Amino acid sequence: MQWWCVARTEAWSWQWQPLVGVWVVLAVLTVGYRRLRRSVEEEGGDVGPSWRPTAFGGGLFLLWVSLDWPLGPLGASYFASVHMAQYVAVGVAAPALLLIGLPDGAFRRIETRPRVLRILGALTHPLVAFSLFNGVMTVTHWPSVVEVLMRSQMGSFGLDVSWLVAGLVFWWPVVAPVPARTAFSPLAKIGYLALNAFLIRPPFAMMVFSADPIYRIYELAPPPAGDALDDQQLGGVIMKIGVAWVMFAGVVAVFLRWVRTEAAAAKGGGG
Amino acid sequence: MSPRVSGHGRTAARSRGPSCRAAWGAVGLALAWGGASCEVPNEASGVHGTPVHREVGAPRLALIDTEGRAFDLREETHGRVTLVFFGYTHCPDICPVHMATLSAAYSDVEPEVRDRIRVVFVSTDPERDTPQRLRAWLDGYHRSFVGARGALDEINGALAGLQLPGVAVIPSEHGEGAPNIGHPSAIVAFGPDGRARVRYPFGMRRADWLRDLPRLARER
Repeated sequence: MQWWCVARTEAWSWQWQPLVGVWVVLAVLTVGYRRLRRSVEEEGGDVGPSWRPTAFGGGLFLLWVSLDWPLGPLGASYFASVHMAQYVAVGVAAPALLLIGLPDGAFRRIETRPRVLRILGALTHPLVAFSLFNGVMTVTHWPSVVEVLMRSQMGSFGLDVSWLVAGLVFWWPVVAPVPARTAFSPLAKIGYLALNAFLIRPPFAMMVFSADPIYRIYELAPPPAGDALDDQQLGGVIMKIGVAWVMFAGVVAVFLRWVRTEAAAAKGGGG
Repeated sequence: MSPRVSGHGRTAARSRGPSCRAAWGAVGLALAWGGASCEVPNEASGVHGTPVHREVGAPRLALIDTEGRAFDLREETHGRVTLVFFGYTHCPDICPVHMATLSAAYSDVEPEVRDRIRVVFVSTDPERDTPQRLRAWLDGYHRSFVGARGALDEINGALAGLQLPGVAVIPSEHGEGAPNIGHPSAIVAFGPDGRARVRYPFGMRRADWLRDLPRLARER
């Protein structure tokens, strides 16, 4: 029984393997969410529209599919392309869904805690969030870092947690209403997301343009199903297109919300 | 998993237990180190494998190639750099990975380098490795790779002469299914004079071969 997936040197087997850490993390998030939502309801707070739990559940589902067997071990040991798909799910799409799924009342609670608000204000400043997100993405895909972290369960766990946390910080200024940032208008949010969709990051460039496989783990993974370099290049493309696709979905969501807000304001002003 | 009985082959890293602090400490070191490739050539020899300093010649080993022709390892390695690997086509890990990295680099080097280097794969599982199967398997890597079969006791004698561990047939778990074959994990490079020059352990990467193959091709 394992806590988290780790790079292995054995040939791939379809024999199911339990990854206890993934279940524990998902259970903690599920129980935490239910408690939070119930307490907001009990306080008479705003839980938001009824689709919120579905969004949160979607985030949990993405985490489960990406980290548990078989995608977890396949991405940890055998295919760089699966590893990059996991990154898109765990580090980009799931954090957005988890944040969107939170009840409004949960954010309002933070307003009553000045210290938390101050820390969050600094950590989730768009410039900080942008730097952290891209910094974590670059560092955690650097070949020598991947080689070291993926060889131990705690290293692999730390890598996935860092993706998730960096993703939450990245999406916070776009999704969360607190701390209030009047300067970070919907147009600025669209620019923030679009910039991240187009940005060419070092890992993508290395994966796609390198003449040789850059990840030792995937190059020496048995059995080599196809060419390691092709798999790596596919991984680079999945990372680039996957991140861009999620960012554009964010752009569309921000734009639609902006239009709705403006329309409501105009209607209110006109009435 | 194919048992790695070679003391000459670098054993691939195994999974470690949880060690968060060590892992994150290593991240710092790895970052400081930078670089996409972790491999550095042997400083003294300039090659990535282990140089063979003792006088070890290609063994006299009577084999049959996949076309049914007689293939004497000593005679065939003479006058040309030859990379010899003892393995089997049902191998689940070492053989396909070693052959994939070697063949990827072999296909990428200049034709003149390829012309000077021959790759010979000697089956350690002659019962299951029929000539047809061996040929088809090798064609998946490079059509010029030579496949050869012979008697296991003679192959073991040749391996002893090369100071490599012999072939070991290991029954599968629970006694069901095909056995695993223990075999050396190193590829041995012979110079044109028939003398062993370098042993290449498991773990050689395409980039390592790309640097070493032209170097080997210059051997006299």
